[in-house]
Amino acid sequence: MAESRTAASGDTAAAPVVVAGGDRESRFARRMIIVGATILALVALVAVFAPLLSPWGETEIDPANTLVAPGGDHLLGTDGNGMDIWSRVLHAARLDLGIALAAVALAVVVGTLLGLVAGYVGGWLDDVLMRVVDIFQSFPTFILALAVAALLGNGTVNLIITIAAVNAPAYARLVRAEVRSLRELPFVDAAITSGASPVGVLWRHLLPNSLTPVRVIAPLNCGWAMLTLAGLSFLGLGVSIPEAEWGAMISLGAADVVGGRWWTSVPPGLALFVCVLGFSLLGEGLQDRANAKRR
Amino acid sequence: MLSIENLSVAIRRPGRQVAALSDVSFAVRPGEVVGLVGESGGGKSMVARAVVGLLPGGSHATGRVLVEGADVLRMDDAALAAHRGRGAAICFQNPRGALSPTRTIGRQLVDRLTTHQEMSGDRAREAARELFEAVGIRSAQRRLDAYAHELSGGMAQRVMISLATGCAPGLLIADEPTTGLDVTLTREILRQFRHAADTDERAVLLISHDLASIAEVCDRVVVLYAGTVVESGPAAQVLREPAHPYTRALLRSVPDVGGRPVVATPGTMPLLTRAPENCPFVARCAHADDTCASRRPPTEPLAGTGDWSLACFHPQTRPLDAGTPPTPATPVGGAAVAGPVPQRAVLEIEDAHVVYRSRFGSGGHHALRGVTLRLGPGETLGVVGESGCGKSTLAKLVMGLVAPTSGTVSVAGQALVKQPGRPRPRGRALRRARTRAQLVFQDPIGSLSPRRTVGDSIAEPLRAAGLSAAERDARVAAVLDRMELDRAILRRYPHELSGGQAQRIGIARALVGEPDLIVFDEPTSALDVTVQAQILDVIADVAADADRASVFISHDLATVRGFADRVVVLYLGRVVEEGPVDVVFDTPRHPYTRALLGSAPRLGATAGSEGAGVELVKDLEEADAAAGCPLAARCPFVTDRCRSERQELQSYGESRAACWRVPELPALIGRQAVTP
Repeated sequence: MAESRTAASGDTAAAPVVVAGGDRESRFARRMIIVGATILALVALVAVFAPLLSPWGETEIDPANTLVAPGGDHLLGTDGNGMDIWSRVLHAARLDLGIALAAVALAVVVGTLLGLVAGYVGGWLDDVLMRVVDIFQSFPTFILALAVAALLGNGTVNLIITIAAVNAPAYARLVRAEVRSLRELPFVDAAITSGASPVGVLWRHLLPNSLTPVRVIAPLNCGWAMLTLAGLSFLGLGVSIPEAEWGAMISLGAADVVGGRWWTSVPPGLALFVCVLGFSLLGEGLQDRANAKRR
Repeated sequence: MLSIENLSVAIRRPGRQVAALSDVSFAVRPGEVVGLVGESGGGKSMVARAVVGLLPGGSHATGRVLVEGADVLRMDDAALAAHRGRGAAICFQNPRGALSPTRTIGRQLVDRLTTHQEMSGDRAREAARELFEAVGIRSAQRRLDAYAHELSGGMAQRVMISLATGCAPGLLIADEPTTGLDVTLTREILRQFRHAADTDERAVLLISHDLASIAEVCDRVVVLYAGTVVESGPAAQVLREPAHPYTRALLRSVPDVGGRPVVATPGTMPLLTRAPENCPFVARCAHADDTCASRRPPTEPLAGTGDWSLACFHPQTRPLDAGTPPTPATPVGGAAVAGPVPQRAVLEIEDAHVVYRSRFGSGGHHALRGVTLRLGPGETLGVVGESGCGKSTLAKLVMGLVAPTSGTVSVAGQALVKQPGRPRPRGRALRRARTRAQLVFQDPIGSLSPRRTVGDSIAEPLRAAGLSAAERDARVAAVLDRMELDRAILRRYPHELSGGQAQRIGIARALVGEPDLIVFDEPTSALDVTVQAQILDVIADVAADADRASVFISHDLATVRGFADRVVVLYLGRVVEEGPVDVVFDTPRHPYTRALLGSAPRLGATAGSEGAGVELVKDLEEADAAAGCPLAARCPFVTDRCRSERQELQSYGESRAACWRVPELPALIGRQAVTP
């Protein structure tokens, strides 16, 4: 009888009706993540092996050949000081990537701790911390970065602190909001009634669960941090020549571009663009995937 | 009207494939109410989605879904739009979420009427008012200008029904329309669907996980299991003598206010990736043999019946033992039930009030108004009441998660929160004191920390006790054995668990520290019916431990009857009746208790028997309890004295009730029944 049923269903159900859709969005997100991660992996490799890939040293000067066009001894030509552009673009990846990552890491740690405490303790402490955050966030990020950088002065560590300082408030606010909504969920009550101490509730229950949005925002933030760094250097408040940094290189070559010597500024600009694109793709992809999961 | 023929739906997405429906066939005729029942994952909602042309992305559907002869699966967009407007309308599970929050409900109904019925504005408004009145909305004219957030759950569901019936569709689909509604409302809402079928010859498809509650209004029922129709037939007969083992398991899993014991069926519904080649119920069926495991039973009419058919090689014919006399609740934990109040009280609540102050302004919500309770070791107390009665606040009060505004609470002699004029332990002593009372939550998965492993969660109370890691592991392992869970589960995360597993973990966590008191706050309301029965078994076992007291909180009277010794009925923050469980259930005194018991679904019994049968007159959220008896606004027997005088608990036989008219009530109810 089972057979006859199968036969009967055969003629009514000629061709299946297919509803399009499904996981298209998340497939797109996965592609963004893969492409972004690949770009960043390449940049990281370049940063690590820069000395091996460069025919010239980072600050090595070829006095006979200043401002020569690409080709010959100098793959991408030289700048006004006779330094090899190709070698410097590769070396700059170290400083740009390093400072951006360190700054974002610092911002995440400081911001998360502040947000956790503000969100969990609440009351006047929350009010005070959030008003400070308000003050920070009421200035345009880059203007604030300029002010802090001018205050602290040059140097790699100071740059990291500057960029972390302008980014940390956003994390504090994000984590605080997350903690405040998580605090209402039953698992927090469960932890309290199980005798967990306030620190235990914060550290073992609220912290791991409030990091989800941070994980999504941090890669995007690395791209912005890199742009901030390049911008500061361009204006002379960040890394200064002769150290290799993309923003500083663009700044140095800006005058030459007007004279038709594009190779001094365009290669570092492209490098910066590709690197920020990598962070953006990774961040957007992670965000889309997180949203898809939530649905 | 609606005819589904060999509908199969497979959902194919990268990395996963689900056979949601396999060869589903049934029909709904005009004027007929058909109930589609089964547990979650059985394919009920997928059927509803197919009928309104809303199959999810990645679906591969075969077969036909005919509505008035047209195949919905193969309609183009224009035909679908017309079909959804006039052919079939759907009422969703969460009515407040399905109503637009920024437009008045009248506006939303008028819009539909002007779009699909081409009415003029004034006529549409008049029609909207009539529709509201038809579904039992009082002062309909005024309600037209209300927003969704101003409505109670029952009112919102009525509005949804009026929206769905407004454009006179031939077919009305309701997807779990009464989930989340209180028992007194559930019956009223279900009657609206019966009414829609009777007055306009509509076909109604009523989807529910609870066969017993919808059977009363259904002509026929269709039972789904793992995407297949296992049984379909006349509602009354299927309910009384279900022939398919799964239908029987489903009915036996539901606790009954009559006291019939729950029989749990082990296992869970399989998640099929392909259409089954054998009986999908085979792994859980007591009657299964080799045939069941190798071939899929064909759907055949049951011998000697008209339209009763089932897919089973071993149809059962005996009536379900619904008529079993109520087994007395086993007096677990000894003679504490009838004897004097035990010496040592595990839980003592003395005239506790809880007021939630609103953050702005001076108002506040008075959640508990003078509750006094005392519970000794080995006792199990049932707490029942509708949503908003203060049940959950009571749980939080006991656990020390909210502080009493006045009055006192102590667990094992200690105060867990700041209370007026009492010391409380601090630091580690407080943490230890807290572990003396444990809570089992309503939302089993949500009560587990999402990014901590199951093992971590269970061991949490042991950390406060300061045990070493080795001791913790041993205790966790022991409690896991008692919950009949595999050790491998310790390394999993909450989102990887089923609801039943998660609730076992929740109970394990509550047990591991060997507390003096466990509070179960609606522990099974988020679970599927057969899983609910399994968890109730576990809870009954845990509650029977002699050295521990339990509080079992539920909106469902029947589950409480299973294993409570005493029961208290809460209404708007007050205890309106309390007493030994069988006394309260068999001879309810308070009108509210009578109404609750009267609305509870029961198998086989005629509704309104046992002298209950009180009908409350309004929805809970419309009632205002300013002074006097809290039930005054809804009670059919209200007098001026009820409105002005606060009612205190008085003894009536073995139980106590807060109503001065108790002696007169039997006569009053008799009169009410004669003159409806």
